[in-house]
Amino acid sequence: MTITVKTARYLILLLFALLFVMPFLWIWFSALKSTAEINQDPFGVPATLHWENLAEAWTTGRFGSYIGNSVLYAAFVVPLVTAFSCLAGYALGTRRLPGERLIFGAFLVGIMIPFQSIMIPQYYLVRDLGILGTYWGVIVPSVALGLAFGVFLMRAFFRGLPEEISNAARIDGASEWRVFTRIILPLARPGIITLVVLQFMFTWNMFLIPLLYGQDEGLRPISTGIMFFVGEYSVDRSMIAAGVTLASIPIIALYLLLQRHFIQGMTAGALK
Amino acid sequence: MTLTLTRPRSVARQVLPGGPPQGRTLGYLFLVPAGLLYAGFVLWPLAQSLYLSLTDWDGASPDRRFVGLANFRRLLGDDLFWRSLGHNLIWVVVGTALTMGVALLLAMLVWSRPRGFTALRTIYFMPQVLPAIIVGIVWSWIYNPAFGILNRALEAVGLESWTRGWLGDPSFALYAVLLASVWATVGLAFVIFTAALHNVDTDLIDAARVDGANGWQRFRHVVIPQLSNAITLVVVLLLVHGFQAFDHVWIMTKGGPDDATQLIATYTYQKAFMENEVGYGATLSLVLTAISLLVSIAVVRVRERA
Repeated sequence: MTITVKTARYLILLLFALLFVMPFLWIWFSALKSTAEINQDPFGVPATLHWENLAEAWTTGRFGSYIGNSVLYAAFVVPLVTAFSCLAGYALGTRRLPGERLIFGAFLVGIMIPFQSIMIPQYYLVRDLGILGTYWGVIVPSVALGLAFGVFLMRAFFRGLPEEISNAARIDGASEWRVFTRIILPLARPGIITLVVLQFMFTWNMFLIPLLYGQDEGLRPISTGIMFFVGEYSVDRSMIAAGVTLASIPIIALYLLLQRHFIQGMTAGALK
Repeated sequence: MTLTLTRPRSVARQVLPGGPPQGRTLGYLFLVPAGLLYAGFVLWPLAQSLYLSLTDWDGASPDRRFVGLANFRRLLGDDLFWRSLGHNLIWVVVGTALTMGVALLLAMLVWSRPRGFTALRTIYFMPQVLPAIIVGIVWSWIYNPAFGILNRALEAVGLESWTRGWLGDPSFALYAVLLASVWATVGLAFVIFTAALHNVDTDLIDAARVDGANGWQRFRHVVIPQLSNAITLVVVLLLVHGFQAFDHVWIMTKGGPDDATQLIATYTYQKAFMENEVGYGATLSLVLTAISLLVSIAVVRVRERA
């Protein structure tokens, strides 16, 4: 390939890289500017870096408590979805149960339909159960919604495992439970990690679920928290930028650390 | 040696034709937590939306009056429903074309895995992992008439007449939100295409070159056919996402201005939760359910034939 073609290619690639990365850099940088500076010159360099914006967003903007809620939701939803999906995925993937196709088909429906297909009756169900306005009101529907994909992913994973090892253990007298916890789960670790990473991302990013079930101030995770903050203080731009920065840094850091799992997992999810 | 290796397999055949009875019980037990939660919070509501669509329930009153197919008749005559569906179609067609074009271009450019490939892939995929709220805010800022970088950039190159409040202008708002959404999803399509291109048979391309095919012909007649599976997959993904689109729109415009960005999903939410027309909202949600199931089933059919 000639030098000019190579250069042209890199120019296009870098241009797009800029297009994907610039908006973030701009907002992150804006978080260190005063609102007046943002309004005056969006590209300008601030006179001093206002690191205190981040601290102020954490306390006065209540982003600290929103992030706390996001962490709490993830801390419940991710392990529950993972555990239940492993159990059900194992049963559907390896046990050859009568009725298995029907049950798996029912889980598949959950992958095909959007949340909007069920949100209306689900909202009134959550309300009638008396958990609307509590943490459980957000957690329980999130777990239920995560299961469709989780079961699908883990079933495919367990099916791919060789049966010989667990059968050998059975012959040596291991109980079914022991086979599952000591042999199957360790073998399924790559699949479990993918599910954990993806479910964390879904939970951290969820928007419509907390919009419906977490309307109380004290229940808002970071996503709806920022939205309400923008609604109330839309002129306080440096604070919004600081909130966006605080909300995006954890997920981006995790992505950079575990990007192989993110990319593989989401492509596997796409192949569903 | 052979004996010990084959023994488990033969035993397996004896012990596990359909699973041992006690293993079966355990299997069903394993299904209980996921099954109960899923049946209660997903399948049951799904069935209930059918029922709700036959009522005129407002979400509060104790009686849910049965109105037969009245909601469906109303749907057929509801201009805003048809407009929303039209917006969804624009969203699907324009969004798919744009995403495919950009993703394919980028994937072709990194086909030979040039230096910096991993870094570029990391960057292109990054918007994909972000919450919709952040994508929405970032792009609302870009489009902001007062300090947004889009208008500033247009001014800088002498196109002042093009500047406008992008999200406030009914003839541009839909495309403005769509562009933000494309920006956020292009990375996934790119990754799928990159993986598929990795498996393309390069001998065929060399052969085509020897036969005198130019770059475009090689791309069109040699590369594209080998990518057909990946292309189908991406189209389907974008189709499903396109009909279900909600987050970015709700965050950036809430369906406005003047319903210019109203989609089926936002219209459903608005009817059910802001105007308390639960029965009609459920009817609208059934349209989404039907489209999603139809698209998914069509895909399975196409795949099976391939």
